Amino acid sequence: MAELLRRLLRTPQGLLGVLIVGLILVIVVCGPSLAPYGPDTMAPRLRYRAPSAEFLLGTDQYGRDILSRLLYGARSTVILACLATALGTVAGALIGTTSAFLGGRADEAIMRTIDAILSIPSLLFALLIVNLLGKSSFSAVMAIGIAFTPGMTRVTRSVALAVTKQDYVNAAIARGERGGYIVLREMLPNVVAPIVVEMTIRVAFSVMLFATLSFLGLGAQPPSSEWGLMVAEARRFMHLSPWMILWPSLAVALVAIGFNLLGDGLRDALNPRT
Amino acid sequence: MNVLEVKGYSLDYPTPAGFVRALDSIDLAIARGEVLGLVGESGSGKTSLAWAIMRHLPPRAREQGDISLGSQSLMAATESEIAAIRGRRIGMVFQDPSTSLNPTLTLGQQLAEVLARHRGLTRRQAWAEGEAMMARVGLKQPAAMMHRYPHEASGGEKQRVVIASAFACQPECILFDEPTTALDVVTARQILDLFAELQAETAVASLYISHDLALVSRVADHVAVLHRGRLVEHGEVDAVFDAPRDDYTRRLLAAVPRPDHRLVTGKPAAGADPLVEVERLSVHYGRTPFLSALAGRRIAQVAGNRAVSLSVQPGEILGIVGESGSGKSTLARALTGLTRFDGAVRFAGRRITGRRDMDRGYRRDVQIVFQHPDSSLNPRQRVREILSRPLTLYGGEARIEALLEQVRLPAAYAERFPHQLSGGEKQRVAIARAFASRPKLVICDEITSSLDVSVQAAVVELLVDLQRRNGTAYLFITHDLNLVRQLAHRIAVMYRGELVELLDIDDLSTTGPRHPYTRQLMDAVPPPREYKS
Amino acid sequence: MSPSYLVKRLALVVYTLFVVSLLVFAITQVLPADAAVMLLGENATPDALAAIRDKLGLDRPVWAQYGDWLAGVVQGDFGTSLRTGQPVAPVMLEALGRSLTLAVLAIALMLMLALPLGIVAALRRGKLADLLVSIVSYVGVSLPEFVTATLIVLVLADWLKLLPATGFVPLTESLWDGLAHLALPVLTVSVILIAHVSRMVRSELVDVLHTDYVRAARLKGLSRRVVLFRHALRNALLPTITIVALDVGYLLGGVIVVEEIFALPGIGRHLIVAIQTRDLPSIQAGALIMAATYSIVNFLADLAYAWIDKRIQYG
Repeated sequence: MAELLRRLLRTPQGLLGVLIVGLILVIVVCGPSLAPYGPDTMAPRLRYRAPSAEFLLGTDQYGRDILSRLLYGARSTVILACLATALGTVAGALIGTTSAFLGGRADEAIMRTIDAILSIPSLLFALLIVNLLGKSSFSAVMAIGIAFTPGMTRVTRSVALAVTKQDYVNAAIARGERGGYIVLREMLPNVVAPIVVEMTIRVAFSVMLFATLSFLGLGAQPPSSEWGLMVAEARRFMHLSPWMILWPSLAVALVAIGFNLLGDGLRDALNPRT
Repeated sequence: MNVLEVKGYSLDYPTPAGFVRALDSIDLAIARGEVLGLVGESGSGKTSLAWAIMRHLPPRAREQGDISLGSQSLMAATESEIAAIRGRRIGMVFQDPSTSLNPTLTLGQQLAEVLARHRGLTRRQAWAEGEAMMARVGLKQPAAMMHRYPHEASGGEKQRVVIASAFACQPECILFDEPTTALDVVTARQILDLFAELQAETAVASLYISHDLALVSRVADHVAVLHRGRLVEHGEVDAVFDAPRDDYTRRLLAAVPRPDHRLVTGKPAAGADPLVEVERLSVHYGRTPFLSALAGRRIAQVAGNRAVSLSVQPGEILGIVGESGSGKSTLARALTGLTRFDGAVRFAGRRITGRRDMDRGYRRDVQIVFQHPDSSLNPRQRVREILSRPLTLYGGEARIEALLEQVRLPAAYAERFPHQLSGGEKQRVAIARAFASRPKLVICDEITSSLDVSVQAAVVELLVDLQRRNGTAYLFITHDLNLVRQLAHRIAVMYRGELVELLDIDDLSTTGPRHPYTRQLMDAVPPPREYKS
Repeated sequence: MSPSYLVKRLALVVYTLFVVSLLVFAITQVLPADAAVMLLGENATPDALAAIRDKLGLDRPVWAQYGDWLAGVVQGDFGTSLRTGQPVAPVMLEALGRSLTLAVLAIALMLMLALPLGIVAALRRGKLADLLVSIVSYVGVSLPEFVTATLIVLVLADWLKLLPATGFVPLTESLWDGLAHLALPVLTVSVILIAHVSRMVRSELVDVLHTDYVRAARLKGLSRRVVLFRHALRNALLPTITIVALDVGYLLGGVIVVEEIFALPGIGRHLIVAIQTRDLPSIQAGALIMAATYSIVNFLADLAYAWIDKRIQYG
């Protein structure tokens, strides 16, 4: 792990990514205790305030402190996005490896179907599933997880297939190794790295998608301080206080940039040959 | 009068850790009509010298000395002067015609553009001239060939086109950078003949770069040997071969495989039961995809092997030769259960018809070493883990350190990852892994072809030593006829999936080959000339 | 391009549409335990529930429902909207036209900006220009459309008052006014595409510039310009066709969000309204039309690729 971190910090993307994602993790873990006010503490006479020493990022239409709401909202935004990505990755990895393992006609049939499902844009797919499950954070997580599954299946399968063709796997087969050893010790370590990279980059996408669903009123529901929802609510008051809409928008962007950078940094760091 | 002259030339490449010397005080000259062979192993700097002459160096490279063409200094020339010289006064032929031709332009376009650029011909004139050039380099149907894309031509045809564009503007000097290395032996021989013919006809000054000393001795008048960026030997071919002055040249000469210089003595015991018998083994590649079947299209099945039968005696070295695509590696894959096959393999009294029949005993006794150690060693495992697997599977008291010592590697290498080793060292680890289970047969699939000559010689010597000590039989697959003649007791020749000839090494030297393809193969690679050690 | 490739690729489109129709139908009509209750809510009267079951044929076997629906779809009949009582197809197709206008303009803008940016970055690799393009593309791919839209509206509409923030004027009515109303949405959806495609163009071109054949072209004495345009760009831009076609998926997702934000009556906005009002036939139609658009665009891109790159039919 220490070795990985050292290699990660060597590239500018890795360094920046680690810093941003590290900051986000700190906020996710200790956000509520860092917040100066409660997320729902209203102050009717202090509405639409611009940033000041008292309210660092200003206040919203109920006089709630935006900074505090962002700090609390990090949990619902980031953790749920990670959860959704993990769901999609596990499901995709299972289907992808199975397909690569089966090979032949079964593989072709599975992958053609996966390609067909991929022709439904992720956001649309997520919308359909939210429509099925009802508006809530839980259904947004499920929706994103399911919407990510075909893409992750594709990635896993191509990585697994590339590894199967390597001679070290052939050597293991020729040596008479059992299937379990070949999959766990020879293939898995080489398959995991690219999947971890893909997953990290997808967390960025998932944060964006989750916030978008909330923005459309189909994810987190009020009075949650999920960031996408904060943007959606702030739209009506944009003319009264642009700050209300600016801060949560930037927060979403920052998280996405952080995970994108981290993913690219990991791609270099996890390559054993560099 | 020298056409090309390199005087006291040194080159340093910039790296994050500072400048690294690639070439050190090089002095060379090539006269009109002369061929200078430049020999060196990978990393010796021979390609760097070619780039330096072509003025194609990274922006921050540091240079000293001078390179001149005729009376003009190339190092002092401006960028536009260089662009006018390249292709016009100095041509270049590259190693691999499948990557040096643009896949989206026709062969004709790529040939004609040089003529249009340098000889000021109109598009139509350039096309006609290109067609004439195609005919001159021995391409049949030049008019049709002009309209083909690179993927529609064979490797030999493509290299002829590359040669045609190098000769197109009648340059004074041409650099040949390993022009036959990527080709099959028979094709390579034809390209070499073409080179000799054009060279004699045009009297161009040629710099022929190669790793293959034997080959250079046949094409060149003078030889220069490059070792770690320095010219260690330079002189007429005869002088260098008769009295090599430098130690490195002597080692290089000694490393060249010579068929009459047998490395293996003795013969496998006659009359013993065969260790392995291959009975009418066939492998078919390619299946018809479902949708193509629907579309009513049938895809021709590519034959990997067609009814191949042979046997290996205990302790015997059976050489298998053939060009790429002849099915030699397919045979290795079938014998290790990596591909389905029809027919059978008889081993230790049992008939094996597929992977399921290959039991523990078979796996222990039959081991394989692959061509590319980069791919055959798991990049995420240390040498210790790589070598420990056959020990855990098949027991034996051998320790990792002993296995490493057996292949002449230091014990400390056990803790290294494959990417921390050189190519030769990696292949030694792969060999150690194969020998860990004390097998009776080791299949060597082109195991030396990605290695330098001197490294190859050391690996071959190691194999011979292991064979002598353990009495292991080898199935030695290679495209190098000279090498296999040093090692094998018998040689199997494969051509387009079929076993065309199986001959005893003694018969080869006395009665000679019977099959025309074998004869072609032997003519293509004459034994290297003798030298005085 | 061989006829068998065409047949094969066309069969794939048909299969894709079949799978998508099955999936869309299953998610909307079959999987909900009781579609009627889902549509009308828990408090609906039994009469209303019975009426809607009858209207949608919910009491019939699932396969019969699907068969009827598919038969209608094939003939261009997507049923009638539960919200307006009007046939769904004409409304959706008209909305699709508006969305496609938006999408085509976005792709045009993207190509105008992304190609030069990617090429400049590749040619000036490691220099300042490359760094700037790389920063812009990192930020670009990390901005969801609703964030981009927010920032763009804040600056261009609210602050500088250059362009109208919402509304739609058909291009046929007033070209200038129509374009002015489309400007912000087009800008918004193209940001992610520009960022993504410029990055892809850069990396493709960097790879191609390092190939043996580009080096060979340079060593034949061809000028930099000829090497770049004749030998390098051709090969580097070819994969861009595929990348752009795949990005149409993002684009369609972006269109949904952008139409909602800018109150643009395209297919995305219709779809959101349909989801919010649980208008089943409209949801099905919208989803299917979007997926069909995507797979047809990719089909055309593959044909274009195969036509330009003659190697495909052999590979």
